[in-house]
Amino acid sequence: METLSLLGMGFEQALTPEALMFCLLGVSLGTFIGVLPGIGSLTTIALCLPLTFHLEPLLGLIMLAGIFYGAQYGSSTASILLNVPGSAPAAITCLDGYPMSRQGRAGIALFITTIASFIGGSFAILLLVFFAPVLANFAISFSAADYFSIMILALTAASTLSVGSPLKGLAMVTFGLMLGMVGTDINSGQFRFTFGLPALTDGINLVALAMGLFGVAEILNNLNEGRVPQAGKEKISFKQMMPTRDDWKAFRYSCMRGSLIGSFIGMLPGTGPTIATFMAYAGEKKLSSTPEKFGQGAVEGIAAPEAANNASVQAAFIPTLTLGVPGDAIMAVMLGGLLVHGITPGPQLVTTDAALFWGVVASFWIGNVLLLILNLPMIGLWVKLLSIPYRFLFPAVLFLICIGVYSVNNNSVDVLLTLGFGVMGFFLNRHGFPSAPLLLGFVLGPLIEENFRRALVLSDSSLATFVQRPISLVFLLLTVALLAFSFWRKNNKLDNNPSQARL
Amino acid sequence: MSAVRYCFLIFSLSLLAACGNQDNAGSGNPETWPSKPVRVIIPFGPGGLADVTLRLAGEPLGDLLGQRLVMENRPGAGGVAATSTMLNADADGHTLIVLTNGTTIAESLFEDLPYDITGELVPVSAVAWFDLVLLVNPDTGYTDLGTLLADKNNDLRIATINPGSTQNLTAELFKTRAGVDATIIPYRTTPDVLGALLRNEVDLVIDAYTALKGAIDNGQAHPLAVTGEVRNPAMPEVPTAAEAGITDFVVTGWNALYAKAGTDPSIIARLNATIAEVLATNDIRTRFEELGVEARANAPEDMQERLLADIEKWREVITSAGIDTL
Repeated sequence: METLSLLGMGFEQALTPEALMFCLLGVSLGTFIGVLPGIGSLTTIALCLPLTFHLEPLLGLIMLAGIFYGAQYGSSTASILLNVPGSAPAAITCLDGYPMSRQGRAGIALFITTIASFIGGSFAILLLVFFAPVLANFAISFSAADYFSIMILALTAASTLSVGSPLKGLAMVTFGLMLGMVGTDINSGQFRFTFGLPALTDGINLVALAMGLFGVAEILNNLNEGRVPQAGKEKISFKQMMPTRDDWKAFRYSCMRGSLIGSFIGMLPGTGPTIATFMAYAGEKKLSSTPEKFGQGAVEGIAAPEAANNASVQAAFIPTLTLGVPGDAIMAVMLGGLLVHGITPGPQLVTTDAALFWGVVASFWIGNVLLLILNLPMIGLWVKLLSIPYRFLFPAVLFLICIGVYSVNNNSVDVLLTLGFGVMGFFLNRHGFPSAPLLLGFVLGPLIEENFRRALVLSDSSLATFVQRPISLVFLLLTVALLAFSFWRKNNKLDNNPSQARL
Repeated sequence: MSAVRYCFLIFSLSLLAACGNQDNAGSGNPETWPSKPVRVIIPFGPGGLADVTLRLAGEPLGDLLGQRLVMENRPGAGGVAATSTMLNADADGHTLIVLTNGTTIAESLFEDLPYDITGELVPVSAVAWFDLVLLVNPDTGYTDLGTLLADKNNDLRIATINPGSTQNLTAELFKTRAGVDATIIPYRTTPDVLGALLRNEVDLVIDAYTALKGAIDNGQAHPLAVTGEVRNPAMPEVPTAAEAGITDFVVTGWNALYAKAGTDPSIIARLNATIAEVLATNDIRTRFEELGVEARANAPEDMQERLLADIEKWREVITSAGIDTL
């Protein structure tokens, strides 16, 4: 009950005209930069940070947070319409979102991702309201060995990401892991595979890789196939956006599962939404009774990752606000915004700055409602983008990708890398090598290596640490179960339906 | 039609002329400086200490100079990207760079830096100073460094951020000065280090006071000593390392503004005086204090002396700790 009255106080704080205005400003800006390929929330938040020095801390945080989660709403739009993700986590939405769009179901896909985003975000906000301190302490108790085992599970699940040949999928995961090794060795500080390029010493820029593989490669592919814009000239009515009964059925549980996976990954510091969306997708495909539909426009394939995406960014506030342990660079920038005002997030924030804490939490939900209101009417407008001739659309998209990639580190080498990855992705795709497993391998590789080595340092080089720690053991067992399940299903299929054996 | 074209031509020409004028005025003429916004290159990503302090001080500084200061983040590679950008700019006082004690480490850590900061850059002034802190998890019950070292003499685990950082090398220096056999466990970020301390997987954390001020205020981390020469005014009860029994172990981090060599001395002098004025204001002092750093300007020659001394200091640490250079 106390929680509810505190939340009520939070809403009082967040419903003042100024707070509403900054919330709307934040989420609108967020949606906008989310839609633009490559331009990420980190750059935008960093640019807006100095503005908040002059604002009340609550208003500043409401606006910065709004940009952050607002961007997640917009990021799937370009994935669905153009097969060009707005941000790295949304790359996975391309797999089924774009086929839906090619089938003339772009409106439905956008509708579903908006609703899934809302549900995912709201779910994580509920966790934040009722269980934040408990969950934060749980999340922080995860040690290096536990992280390693979780990432191993994720990597195993990744094997399902490929559509065609499993061997090619595996090859791409490995390639991704190798690309992830570029950069600075965490234990010795030595540079690895940087070829003397200063731009590579901090590793390959994730945005450059994702935008190259998914964005530039897709544009090259379009040019090569000489595709023309789809019809889409007629006005999209609300009815055409409405998912069918079957769509809703597929949507329901996948959205819930996505929210759960996203919230879990989101509250672990150091993981990030890309892992959340890819795991949610892999999980759906593993659980589905019709995995062959994935990649052909399966509703589950966009609902789960989108819910996971928004759940993870909202859940990232759990350790940030209650323990003062930001999970990623974006959270760290937001903490910086609070520190300037002399506010130090931590276990005492909830009591010493209750108005701020609950005000921000309430604003999250207000922001999500605003995003829903903002995004649904926009769908028709976005779909119209498809009728723009490619000779205008593609240069514009390429231009935005370049700006976006450049803005991450203000580094022009990253732009050239994007081009290189684009050409590489184009040839890989043409020969049936999927890009999604590569991207996941790239994101997971450094985490696996870092945590494996750290776990061994902490355990005085005893491998037993991975089975002695309960959390780690659970995830290793889950990995084994997942593998066993895959083999079992494969054998069953062989028995029942020999014609499908090669799938 | 031709009229429109003519207008357009005129317009373009005048625009060109205006640009040209600006450029001329901006070539380091101390009388008209600053004639355009001043770029400040920050060798770190946004949101970090160097970034936030410079942005805070940059605003009143811009007011006094009559031109905005535009912050440009160029993270990565021990400042190589940032320094290269700086050296590509004109020596006209319209581009400045933030150097830190990390820069002095890079001098010995990197084998073939494409530049020589001691010769190609000139000091303007220090901006911020900060201590590092030695922290334990309060649950362990340790309240002084001596007891911790006596208990864990052969098996001390120290968490710091990545190798080559001030924090990491400070830990190396600590090992030598305290004469303990410790394992230094590197983590990627300060929040990771804090997480390690919270779940008690390490015995000691060495990080900047400013980065873990929140954790100290919240009682998540207990400071055993500060690395400054004198006690930190924000935590007067915490002894210095020397007082805690570790002699000759002093580390003070700093951020300073530098300009390209060849910049007119009168521009440097004006910048230095303006920075000193801004850093002396109450507003900036209190804001910096809230961040856990001290706002203090110094004379360019003092800054350079400090830079050279720190380069020597870290060179020694890197050599004696046997750290492989890059």
